[in-house]
Amino acid sequence: MTEKKKKKTKIWYPHTSENLFSMSGAKGKKYAKKMRNQPSSVTFPSTDFGQNSGGSSSQDRTQRGNGDPQYQWQGGVSGGFQQQRGHWSQPPGPSHQGQFRGGVRGQRGRGDWQGGQLGHRTHQGYQRHSQELPKFITASYFAQARAAEVNAMLKAVKNKNANSQVFQALPKHMRRRAMSHNIKRLPRRLQTIAKKEADKTSQQKKEVSKTKSRKARRRHGNLLLEFNRRQRKNLWLETHIWHAKRFHMVKKWGYCLGDKPTAKCYRACYRAMTKHCLLQDLSYQCCLELRGAEDDLLKALARVTSTDMGATFAAVACLSGKRQGSLVLYRADHYPQEPLGQVTFIWKPKKVPSEERQLWIWTHPTSKQDLLSELLSVCQCSEPIEPRAPIPGPATSSWKVEQKAEAELLGRKRKRNDKEGEEAVALKKIIGDGTRPPNQPVSWRSETTGIVISDLTMEILRYRLIGPLSHCVLADAFKPASDCKESDDVTEGPCPWWLKHCKDADNLSIHHRQKDTFQLLKGVGSPAEIPAGTVLGLTVDDPRLNLPNKRSQSMPDPSQLQDLQKIRQLTLSGVAAECAWSSIWDQAVRDNVTENKIPEKELNHMKSELLVPGSHLSLGPKDSRIPILLVQQPGKQTGEELSGWGSGWDVLVPKGWGMAFWIPFIYRGARAGGLQEGLKHSQNKGAAHFPHDFPDCPAGMRFAKEQENELADKFKRRPPAKRPNYIKHGSIAPFCCPWQQLAEEWEIIVKDSGEEQPAALKGRERPLSAVQGCEEDLLKSAESPSKLRLGLQLEGIEVDAGVSVTESKKACAEGIAGFRVLRSRNVLRQLSVWCRPTSGKGQRGQRLVPSFQQELTPESAVSISAANPISLVWARLTLLKKGSPALHAMISIPTAEDFEQLSKDPVYCGPQEPKHRDHFKHKIKQIKKSKKKKKSPAEETSEGSKTSSPDGGVCSDLTLGLWPEPLPSVTSHCSRVTIGFVTQGDFSLAVGCGEALGFVSLTGLLHVLSRQPADRRGLVLMRNAASLQYRFAKLRIEV
Amino acid sequence: MVRFKSRYLLCEVCFADPRSRQCLEERAVFSAVRDAIARAHGDYGAACCAVSFTVKYLNAYTGILLLRCRKEHYRLLWSALPFIIHLESRGQRQPCRISSIHVGGTIRTCQRFLIRYNRQQLLRMLPGCQSEEERESVHRAVLSCSLKQLEEEGSSRDEDSD
Repeated sequence: MTEKKKKKTKIWYPHTSENLFSMSGAKGKKYAKKMRNQPSSVTFPSTDFGQNSGGSSSQDRTQRGNGDPQYQWQGGVSGGFQQQRGHWSQPPGPSHQGQFRGGVRGQRGRGDWQGGQLGHRTHQGYQRHSQELPKFITASYFAQARAAEVNAMLKAVKNKNANSQVFQALPKHMRRRAMSHNIKRLPRRLQTIAKKEADKTSQQKKEVSKTKSRKARRRHGNLLLEFNRRQRKNLWLETHIWHAKRFHMVKKWGYCLGDKPTAKCYRACYRAMTKHCLLQDLSYQCCLELRGAEDDLLKALARVTSTDMGATFAAVACLSGKRQGSLVLYRADHYPQEPLGQVTFIWKPKKVPSEERQLWIWTHPTSKQDLLSELLSVCQCSEPIEPRAPIPGPATSSWKVEQKAEAELLGRKRKRNDKEGEEAVALKKIIGDGTRPPNQPVSWRSETTGIVISDLTMEILRYRLIGPLSHCVLADAFKPASDCKESDDVTEGPCPWWLKHCKDADNLSIHHRQKDTFQLLKGVGSPAEIPAGTVLGLTVDDPRLNLPNKRSQSMPDPSQLQDLQKIRQLTLSGVAAECAWSSIWDQAVRDNVTENKIPEKELNHMKSELLVPGSHLSLGPKDSRIPILLVQQPGKQTGEELSGWGSGWDVLVPKGWGMAFWIPFIYRGARAGGLQEGLKHSQNKGAAHFPHDFPDCPAGMRFAKEQENELADKFKRRPPAKRPNYIKHGSIAPFCCPWQQLAEEWEIIVKDSGEEQPAALKGRERPLSAVQGCEEDLLKSAESPSKLRLGLQLEGIEVDAGVSVTESKKACAEGIAGFRVLRSRNVLRQLSVWCRPTSGKGQRGQRLVPSFQQELTPESAVSISAANPISLVWARLTLLKKGSPALHAMISIPTAEDFEQLSKDPVYCGPQEPKHRDHFKHKIKQIKKSKKKKKSPAEETSEGSKTSSPDGGVCSDLTLGLWPEPLPSVTSHCSRVTIGFVTQGDFSLAVGCGEALGFVSLTGLLHVLSRQPADRRGLVLMRNAASLQYRFAKLRIEV
Repeated sequence: MVRFKSRYLLCEVCFADPRSRQCLEERAVFSAVRDAIARAHGDYGAACCAVSFTVKYLNAYTGILLLRCRKEHYRLLWSALPFIIHLESRGQRQPCRISSIHVGGTIRTCQRFLIRYNRQQLLRMLPGCQSEEERESVHRAVLSCSLKQLEEEGSSRDEDSD
């Protein structure tokens, strides 16, 4: 009779449901859900012209979300089909759904049906509908159609709209209060449905968080538990809570550190550094302890250092324990290459001549692992010592056990009827390294030499006081420990170590001498007067006891005149070696002190019970004695001006006493600074800051990478129109300095120019025109690597260079820098002299030149650069006039015209870089367009956008305003030849002009110096990455 | 709540030739009704009804139509329906007659009516069956659209979707 194909017609009219397509995700979904049960229109398939054209369109429409009714409808009807088919004894077809699909596509179902109904019709040949449709309606067909429709309608009517609850469908007069809450208020017939619904929504709802009330959370035990949980991943310093309230905290190097204060205090911090005292918590610095025979230690350590850089571990002053030393360590026997990091070190002073020596190496946490592994291999310490074995004191072991218990406690789920209160008592604050698993070895022993290396991270706190009055703060905050009297021996005081210690007369005498020296400190004008790195051991009373009632600035007291003679001796010769001794070197004493600290609560309680409120609390023998170490930090040592700026003291305190020492400093008017202030301090001081100024160390490379990502992210967050187009500014690498490429390119340039014009290297007395010509050569020769990189694979030599670059990049990926930073003292000294102008105003420096210095000749320059291939030199730049250098500014060579103009025009700032063209802009636009095209057909389906995303990943390398890899020639990209980059730059409040620290290529520098006129020597140009203006700067190398 | 109220007209289309049912399409119906209104009530009527007029549902097999119109003007549409004497589709004119069987305020009431109406029709057919086969098939059809079966199906589908 008829064939039966169910299919929805297309919806034609825009006001009906064309807007379905434009409906956005959530709304469309909601609509689809609502329409799920609604029947859709049913028409005959539009195969009038013999084409099964409807198939694809019907499939399209199933995606709209209300494909279900079609299904439903079909189900009802096809049920009828099957029955009929059985009745007509037709071969059984596929299942409902399969039949339906088949029907749409291949029209097999239709054939079946036709065969069944009419008997005489065959499958093929009936393409026109008019022929297929019968003239008469049979009862069964009529009934089928009605039944199917009834089913569809029933479904539509019975299933309420998905968007409303059951009770919402009730008429108003049947509604009751709180129906949604209490199912029993609904009519009984709806209760089951409502129950189902309620279950569904409760499943969908988020798990109710088990957080307690704020009051409960802030209870001491729970708060501690929470704090301990939070510092499992990133270590907290002991002053963390104090800092977190006042600082922007950053998670760095596995610690939570204060970056900079939230208050506006850039200038105030600088003032504190120059006039009073700035306090910094450096406890994140890691201490490695080496113990063993002196000779063994020195022999082993000699491999990681070089005398070329100056004093090593074996320096006499340091070895005696009088001074702290500073070094850059290298991988064993690799000296000019592969540095590991900068360290400071202190030897424990000898008490007995044949004593086992003890050495503390303080390092930055980023380079700790590198250093530790290297030291272990150098000292052949391969045998780990079980954490508890070398520590006889019960203090640490019990602490470890507690920590373990605590970990268990944290691991378990909290339950309400858990006896939490009892366990909270056992809970303890994490002191020391909380992230380390309890069984991880912290010390290693060498079998052959007996050297023991232990990792004392977080065992000793380090506070840095910077500023000329830091010794006043120290003198006010600390009170040297009072002696133990014999009569006190009866009571078991909290300081058993001090009792024992005082029994020895030697110890007592040392303590008295230390006390005297410490009292002398008050008379010193500034810490800079004391020899650099002086170490002073001391034992002090609990600093919390003599806390002033109010915060005040501690000032030197001129009324208490000191013995001037003694002070002079102190400033000249420093502290005697015996005075440098302190009990803090002794692990047992440290643990004892940490263990026996009187809790803040008890102390406050005792204070409150004083007869006269606010009077000084004296505990007498019960008072704790804390061994500390004071280390003088030298200020600005290099350069001519501002020498001694930023000197101060480092205070080393045993762990657990962090806040007890911090607050007294703050109460004496020390201003707290964060990482940023530390950076500014070292920048003003002209000292290299680890890891910023160590691009050749693994830690420095890691830092550079992080910084690059950070800066690039920040850059990309801005809208493209609101960010500088670095390509147009001619800045190739605004986020990361391509040191490797720079150094290598300069090698090539110098080699090329040397081959072409050996005669041109004729020293300084050349006429300007010759200089100019030479500059042109330079530019020309500098362009050659650029060609190489832009054109890629041209000729033999250039390809070689390219290969070396790729190799070096590989090496970079492995964490080994292909370039070196020149740290040889002699060469640096030589360079420093050469950088100074030989005539003119800056002549004063000339007198300082020792007689052994060589004259700057091309030959000597070549010999130096040949001895140090692919090297960078750390330099300090001071702007002549306006301008403030920024991070990653370029250092370039001025041309002869620039000099001419400078001498003519007194207000001449510097040349301008012509604007570059952005070749990539066009490309980016094209990519964008093609992306859009791709997207438009895929708009309907969400999968479309997903599939196009991998293509987007390829294009994302191109960012508007950034050079894509590979970079073109670094040196010759701009109108002035680049020789280096700035790693730190800012307006220096100390000098009053823009100041920058950066690296220049050694070869490039020598090249420039040998070509510059003598009175202009050391003048370079500097240009910020986002600026076109070059500015003159004075380049200096300070040793 | 303020909302636009509509009237839904449930109509039945009867063709002179059963084969022409295949031309029953939304577009054909839409244009036929629109033209009929324009003829019967002029531009005014056409404009009044054009506002929210749609064919909400259509079943070519049973010839059921559901038209929507604004409540204010549904009488114009209603009165125009008898004047439709043919549907035009694919260039062919199929003579037909549209009779409205129900006017409702919501789609739901129309659906409810349609269920009742169809059931009635089926039951009315049952005694009139001439052969046993016919009777059987109609009987089955009646049984197949029972509520119980539907609920079972519905619950199984819900489980699938969850």
